Amino acid sequence: MPHVMISSKKCTGCHMCELACSAQHEGAYRPSVARLYSEVNPTTGATKGHTCLQTGCAKCQEACPNDAIVTKEITVRVKGEFPGKEKVGDTVRGYVLVVLDELCTNCGECYDVCPTNVIHEHPDREVAFKCDLCDGEPQCIAFCQNPHVLAVDLKVDKMDKELAPA
Amino acid sequence: MDFYQGKVLRLDLSAGTAAVEPLNMEWAEKYIGGKGLLLRYMWAEVPPKVDPWAAENPVILMTGPFAGTNVSTASRLVVGCKSPQTGILNDSYVGGSFAPELKFAGYDAIIITGESPEPVVVTIKDDVVSFVPAGPKYWGMQTSEIEEAMRRDFDPDAKTLSIGPGGEKEILWACLSTDQYHKAGRGGHGALWGHKKLKAIAVRGTGTVTVGDAKAFLDDMYRIHNEFVLTEDNLWANEEGTPVLAQVMSDAGVMPTRNWSSGTFDLVENINSDAFLKIRTKNRACYQCAIGCRQFHEADGIAGEGPEYETIALCGGNCGIGDIAALMKFNELCDQLGLDTISSGSVVGLAMDLTEKGIKDFGMRFGETEGYLKAPGLIAAREGLGEELALGARGLAAKYGVPELAMEVKNMELPGYDPRGAFGMSLGYATSDRGGCHMRTYPIADEIVAGALPPDSLDGKAMKVVWGNPAEGMIGENFSAVKFAGIWCDFWAVTPEQIAQIFKHAWKREFSEEEVFQIGERIWNLGRLFNLREGVEPDDIPQKLYAEEGAHTTGASAGRAIGTETFKKALQEFYQIRGWDEHGVPSEAKLAEIGVDVRL
Repeated sequence: MPHVMISSKKCTGCHMCELACSAQHEGAYRPSVARLYSEVNPTTGATKGHTCLQTGCAKCQEACPNDAIVTKEITVRVKGEFPGKEKVGDTVRGYVLVVLDELCTNCGECYDVCPTNVIHEHPDREVAFKCDLCDGEPQCIAFCQNPHVLAVDLKVDKMDKELAPA
Repeated sequence: MDFYQGKVLRLDLSAGTAAVEPLNMEWAEKYIGGKGLLLRYMWAEVPPKVDPWAAENPVILMTGPFAGTNVSTASRLVVGCKSPQTGILNDSYVGGSFAPELKFAGYDAIIITGESPEPVVVTIKDDVVSFVPAGPKYWGMQTSEIEEAMRRDFDPDAKTLSIGPGGEKEILWACLSTDQYHKAGRGGHGALWGHKKLKAIAVRGTGTVTVGDAKAFLDDMYRIHNEFVLTEDNLWANEEGTPVLAQVMSDAGVMPTRNWSSGTFDLVENINSDAFLKIRTKNRACYQCAIGCRQFHEADGIAGEGPEYETIALCGGNCGIGDIAALMKFNELCDQLGLDTISSGSVVGLAMDLTEKGIKDFGMRFGETEGYLKAPGLIAAREGLGEELALGARGLAAKYGVPELAMEVKNMELPGYDPRGAFGMSLGYATSDRGGCHMRTYPIADEIVAGALPPDSLDGKAMKVVWGNPAEGMIGENFSAVKFAGIWCDFWAVTPEQIAQIFKHAWKREFSEEEVFQIGERIWNLGRLFNLREGVEPDDIPQKLYAEEGAHTTGASAGRAIGTETFKKALQEFYQIRGWDEHGVPSEAKLAEIGVDVRL
């Protein structure tokens, strides 16, 4: 299934992805509620990306007692030129996991099981929030465009390739 | 208002209290942010003629309107004070992630006044501000240690601006550090923090920076990234970074070598870009920077970021050091102790010169690593000979009766460009608003890098120094002033036209290129008025640069002397272009024309 990955080897720790993510989803810049993040050690320069693996993981969905996390089919259109990036064609169809706010009780079961620490309680809305690949136009990837970096990338598996191109 | 938080945090160190006040938006409209807004606040907050060491001399941290957004490189912080090193304004810039974090905590600026009775750390988590005793736990820590301590004791996501042991001992060129390798390097802010017993400010912000229609803004920033940022003009900084300048400057006879006795370093191959590329391990970027110019290296078990060209020049060539591992170690020591490398290398090079000339034995000689590597520690501790080195280049050379051996302007040691190899830099150093600095104007870009202007003449250079040639990547003073109001980094060769496109988002109106330039001119004149009010030395360069005797004997700049009369003529031309009188005082007509809202 399509999901975003951050390459620790390539990531420079610029946090552009988190900024774009928050602007897209929150309507303002607020990286403390970004749907992905890169953990940076300023001393060693080491980075560690935290992103949602979507249906490839689905631990949040399994843990949810209210069936508030559902599978949604989307078409992902990656913006930009990607020399050296995985060739996935212009569009990829697949599935993402999204939170249905009206069913979420903010019980916290999913927060505890997420292996990459990317599903949390929204500080204002008091429901879970997570990556939905920007409903098909991931801004994190769009803002990781330095040809020498390209750390934030869209990954797909076999099933996606069968589906693609849309 | 979008982009601005509209709030200033005022910290009174004497009383140990914090207060929040509104940002002066009238000033923001005139001076934007960063350098411009900083200088306007300094005009109001610095008591005229105040002793720089006095408790009344404030330190101001100012962000730019675009910190905390996708505007590439605009994450920089400017720190301002009346400098204890130069006695005039000092605006010192630092990348990393401190400024965006401060914005997310809800503030555009911090004004720090008074002095703490005991060493203190200030922590800021959104609207919760705490004064934490620093001693003995934090006082004495190196810069990486205090940052780690703040992440452990305060908040795992804390961004820290701190001084090292050098600042605690009030070394005149002690700097402020953040994200370990990033420094507000010049002008002795660290010394002033040490004097005020302020070890660190740690901030964690979880709030929001609004930009109006975020989706439209994202789309425009995406366009700007791809059209203007991620281009060949800028990506050199990612590919090689500033070490690329080492070979270029040495070949042009510009690289300070063995206390400025040559402009060509015979061992440059050991510390040029090719040498650093061989030991490069990775790139890092400042917050919200798509370019990522920071190079990590590893040699002989010494790993870390840098050194940049200025360090390579002053701590390498100027000390006769062609040993890459020793240079990296020296850089690391300065980073950890919180010392500016330009001044450190300049002073150590001078001490080596004094030793070699038999004037005074400092136990350090050109090219020898043993004494060289002891120097930063001695300086930061003011131990033994370190107490003398802490006088700085001017003070040290004066003490031994050889003032001509100190290469400084207004008591700030010169960076890595010998003006004899690029005459325009002499005018840049002399007229820089903070003393010997290369970041206000960079005529060498035309003189050496592009080869568009003859390097051995001052003809036409005054115009370049004032206005630059930003379309071709050459920064002049007026343009750097508005660029640093943004606050954009030097490594994005942004143009006035591109700045106008970004300003439009903040102010919801059109800006012309002329207006962008005029804002810069306004800021520059405000800085001049501040310096005149406080009392500034005449705009001049080290005497050694004038005379034919003592000119370099080798390299591309051999035999060149700038000449006193030539320089004086160029300086008067500069004043004339600026609309200043023959003593460098702005005319009323000029101030009115460009809308400066203060007067002497």
